[in-house]
Formats: sequence, structure tokens, C-alpha cells
Amino acid sequence: MAILVDRDSTIAIQGITGREASMVTRHALAYGTKIAAGITPGKGGQFVEGVPVYDTLRQACEEKQITTTVVYVPPAFAYDAVMEAIGNNVKLVLVITERIPRKDVVRFLAAAKEAGTTVVGPNSVGILNPEDRIKLGAIGGDNVERCFVPGPVGVISRSGGMTAECSWMVKRAGYGVSASVSIGGDPLVGSTPKDILARFEKDEKTKAVVMWGEPGTASEENVADFIKEGGYTKPLIAFVGGKFVEDMPEGTVFGHAASIVQGDSGRPSLKKKKLKEAGAFVPEYFNDIIPILRDVLGKPQSA
Amino acid sequence: MARVLESIGKELLKKSGIPVPEFRTAKNEKEALAAAEELGYPVVVKALVAVGKKGKAGAIKFANNGEEVQSQAKEILSMTVRNFPVDALLIEKKLDIVSELYLSVTYNDNTRSPLIIASSEGGIDIEEISREHPDKIISYGVNPLDGFFQYQAKEIAAALGLKEKLLQKGTQLIYRMYQFFDRYDATIVEINPLALTADGDLVAAAILMGVDDDALYRQPDLKDRVEAGGDRSWRPLTELEKEMVAVDAAESYRGTARYTEMVGGDIGFLCGGGGGSLLAFDSLLRFGGQPANYTEFGGNPTKTKVAGLVKGVLSKSGVKSFFMDANITNNTQTDVVAEGIIQAFEEKRIDVKKFPVVIRLAGVNDAKAREIFQSAGIEYYGDDITMEDAAKIIIDRMKEIYG
Repeated sequence: MAILVDRDSTIAIQGITGREASMVTRHALAYGTKIAAGITPGKGGQFVEGVPVYDTLRQACEEKQITTTVVYVPPAFAYDAVMEAIGNNVKLVLVITERIPRKDVVRFLAAAKEAGTTVVGPNSVGILNPEDRIKLGAIGGDNVERCFVPGPVGVISRSGGMTAECSWMVKRAGYGVSASVSIGGDPLVGSTPKDILARFEKDEKTKAVVMWGEPGTASEENVADFIKEGGYTKPLIAFVGGKFVEDMPEGTVFGHAASIVQGDSGRPSLKKKKLKEAGAFVPEYFNDIIPILRDVLGKPQSA
Repeated sequence: MARVLESIGKELLKKSGIPVPEFRTAKNEKEALAAAEELGYPVVVKALVAVGKKGKAGAIKFANNGEEVQSQAKEILSMTVRNFPVDALLIEKKLDIVSELYLSVTYNDNTRSPLIIASSEGGIDIEEISREHPDKIISYGVNPLDGFFQYQAKEIAAALGLKEKLLQKGTQLIYRMYQFFDRYDATIVEINPLALTADGDLVAAAILMGVDDDALYRQPDLKDRVEAGGDRSWRPLTELEKEMVAVDAAESYRGTARYTEMVGGDIGFLCGGGGGSLLAFDSLLRFGGQPANYTEFGGNPTKTKVAGLVKGVLSKSGVKSFFMDANITNNTQTDVVAEGIIQAFEEKRIDVKKFPVVIRLAGVNDAKAREIFQSAGIEYYGDDITMEDAAKIIIDRMKEIYG
């Protein structure tokens, strides 16, 4: 069992007939992930890479017990798609779509919370569980093993690209990942780094976590508080990028929409300080993730 | 976020039933004078720039006659407010203010819901209010599923100490302000000060407003009136930046890109991925480099888009090298990126023997990307080195060539 997705997950892709979604479906199937259904209104009865397409999620749920959906629909329709998933009692909704209006995100996140549905994203590149060979979203592309091999390290990233890069650093250190989660680059996301960390805490396979942090939001500060409260007790290696942003004119966005410094809020230096005080390993340089992992986990078997 | 000019914000407020001072806009002294004569003295002369804290910058003045209007208009038009040169003015009828309140709606990222902040101590920054009058701040969260009710507006108005007729006026205004925030897909609406006038009216004397870039498609009232991505720069966009926005928009269906010019710098910098760009930029500085720009793309852009971006990067004066540093891509086809870079190099006649170039680009189709770069004589790395290692190499190459 891993976090969020495992062999018991039954997966559907909302918006499967789109260019990006059908490519991702092909890559996921090639990796060994089972995709039970796709949803695109008006295209029911068709197949994408052999996956049956339904007009509504309800029809798919009637035939298969869909537990997990991946949302690939365009921004203007994303609100309805997430509400459709919540309305059909899906347990996990991974929202890949980026540039969804903030007002819509706020509403579907509130609805999900009320219904007890887990949302990851929006603007996530995906979730990967290498042991069960489950790949949701573009994460890993057509060459998953390059970055993602099974192992004891959890990866949490506010950046989609750095989800792969961090997982690759883990592999380079001689280990692999229990799961890698791209939480999404927006200021408002369904699952925060703290939420994912709480899941890694309970996951027996995970022995340590590597986290990619950025300027902006209180994500890293909340993680530090969570550790101090005893919510997470395993080693955490937390890298915070974007130090240069502190020397740029205040209130300017670099990288992701959430990556903004205003006053003291969102400053990488303060995030690092809080994480260190909480007992996390906070590498000054990205390359240092490798020696720290080796210190924490002991000699890798493959090294 | 798209910043909304105060004149547009006030026009929309008025349309939504929120009282604002009578106003005109003016581009020069002559227009300012005509506006003031029409409105009647005294008037307020304000810089019309889409940033806050104008008063602090000395860009808000009061005039009692034509002479004062002209001299103040002249002075303010020569100013730059927080990096934004003033090229227009807002001329307003001066209110007879008894007291100043504060009102705003924004999103609270922690609770993931709209948050109304109100205070009886308006007229100064919210930071100042929270420092000097922490007990006078009313924070009111709104449940996004239920929406906002009249009674909640009334509770806020009452907490502000408004009574009798003013309680009713305040309730209406707060209720309408929330509807306004919601209707225009705003990310922030700040009315400061909310003026209580001698006539017993509540008037939005100033508004700061930002609208969600991602919702502009459904805001016809704001079409072509606001500039998306206003928070991506601390000053107005430069010509080159505007060109790069056009390069991105020309193929908006594939890939996203942004380009920001730095002050000075000599490294033409291109990065794939928002997070990766932070790491690469930090690394260049760490090794003593000075990026001339910040350029980032993602989402599998086309060859034309990449070429357009690279040409922009190389166009900035003072650029003495080219550095591409990307995280291992999930879906971006690296061979397409390679072709785009090569096309730009050819068009800009870059001689890679004399002009330092280092590429770190791994991911989808990178065997082909390697081949493309290597046959062009370009120093290429895939996942054989880290992103940090690559930053060190470009700095070394620059030292080798330029000393």
C-alpha cells in the first residue's frame, strides 16, 4: 500500500479525448497503470487507447467502482468536472488543469471538504507510485524509470517539474520513492505539503521525505509547525528554492503563481529558518540532498 | 493578477451601486484644469497608476483653484510611483470627510475562502492598522458555498460602530462590495479610505483592485482594459517583454512562457519549469553569475514559440552567453525545444565557438535532442549532471572566453 493511489484504485480520466490526456493515457497504460474509463461528453462509446469512453462519470461509476479521477478538462469546465467527481462519490480527484479561475477553485475545494473528497491540485503534474506502477498525469512522461523507481522515500513538490527532478535525485543517491506527489503550483490547492506529509507519516514503507519548497504561501511554515506538534516524526529533507526572489522588488511573481513574497510572508529565508528549528534537514544546495539522504537512510543497497 | 486602474475600478463600483466621488481623467495640465473647472473646487489630483500607496509617494494632492491644479498636475505627471511612470491623472471632487474607515475583500490562502477585513481606522495601510490598532481589525471569513448574506454585512457594519441610518448604508455598501468582488472575479478589492462625509454618506474615496488573470475570459467589462500578469513585473512591461507576451499568445494553445528583464546582467537565461527556474537562477547567482533576464516555459511549447523566446533572450543588450537549464521534463518534447533553440541561433547568427552556450535538458525524446545539439557543436548535458552542476559550467565557460 502506498499513499493516495494503490492497486485497489479504479481510475477514470475526465476529458480523456483531449490531445494531452490521450497521450498521457498511452504513457500510463504502457507503464502498466490500469485506466478503467474515460469521460468526455458526446464521445460515449468511443475508445482511447482501448479505454472505454463514457458521456458521464455516472455511467462509468455504474459499471465500475471508480475511486479516483484525473481531471484534464479545459479551465472553463473544470469546476463542473470536479463537482461531478464529488457528486459521484469519487474518493480522490487529481486536478491537472491549470489556469482555473480562483473563484471556481475556492468553491470546489469547499465542496470537496464538505463531502470528504481528497483533491490534489489544481495545476498538478501528477502522482506516481512506482511499486504498484501507478502513474496519474504526465508525471514521468514516456520514461518513468528514469526518475521513479520503488524505494523508501516520499517526494512532495510544489513544482511539477521538480517532482521529477527530486525523485531523480533520490534515485541518484541510490534509493527510490514510495510515492511522488506534485501538489500543484497555485496558491490554493486541495492537498498542502502538510496534508501529504501526514499521509507519508502513516505509510510504513516511507522512511524519509524529500520536499521541494518555494517562496510564497505558508506551506513550509505549516509543515514546520506540524513537525513541532509531533504530526510528522520521520526525517524530512526540505529544500526551499528561490532565494533570489527576496532581493527582487516586493510583490513580484516568479515561477508559479503562488511564488510571491510580500512583507515577511513567503520569504525562503524565514521558511528555512522555521523548518530547521522544527528539526528538518534544510540543504543550502540542491546537490546536498544526496549526501543528506545517505546519512539519514544509511548506505543504499545498490551503491 | 491583472491590476485595475482606479478610474475603471470606480466606474465599476458606481455601476454596482457603491458611491464614489465624482471624477474625470486627464492626460495633461490642460485636461486637468478643464476637469477641475467642471467638477468645482476643491479637487483632488491623483496619479492614475495601478499601484497602491500613492499618498505615501506624494502622488495625491489637493487643489483650491486653477493655478494649483495646473502646478500639481505638472508635478505628479513627472513622477514615478513605485516604478510606474505617471502618464495620466484622476481629478476628483474633494469630499468633506468626517472620518475614514477601511474595507477589503481578498482570499485567505490558509482557509481557502474569501476574507473580509474592516476597520474603523482607515486612511492608513492595513499593515499600519494591524500594527497600531490590532484591536480595531474585524476579520470576517465567507463560506464560498453559502455565499454572503445581508445579515453578515450588517454584523460587520455594526462591529465598525455604525448606527442608525449609517448602519443601513454601511450594510448595503459592504454587501455590495462582496457581490462586486465575486462578480468581477477579483482577487482583491480594497476600499481605503471609505469616507464618512459631513453629509452623512459613505463614499469609496479610493479603490485598489486586482482581477484574476485566469477569469478574464468571462469578464467582458474588463476586456482590453486591464493588463494580465501585472504582478509578474514590478514596473510596466518593457518593449521586449511585450513582444514576448505576443510570442506566447500567438500559440496560446500549447506551452506557457514568460519573460522578465533583469536590470543589467550578461547571461541569457532560459529555463523549463517554474520550480526549476528558481533553482537555476539561485545557482547562477551562487556561482557569481548575473542573469540578464528570467525566462521560463513549460507545457510542451512549439518550435516557433521556443525560437521566439530564445531570440528575445538573445536580443537584450549585454547578453554574452546562453544558458538553458531545465528540470527533467514530464511532457515537454526536448527535441522540439532543441530545434527551436537552433533556429533562433541561426537567425541571430550565433557563433557557438565564440559565444558560450551550455544546455542542460533531459526528458522526453532527449536522445534526439542530444544529437541535435551535438551536431551543432553545442555543449549539451542530459541527466548526466544536476541542474546546479550545469550552472557552474556556464560560469566557467564565460570565464574561459571573457576572462
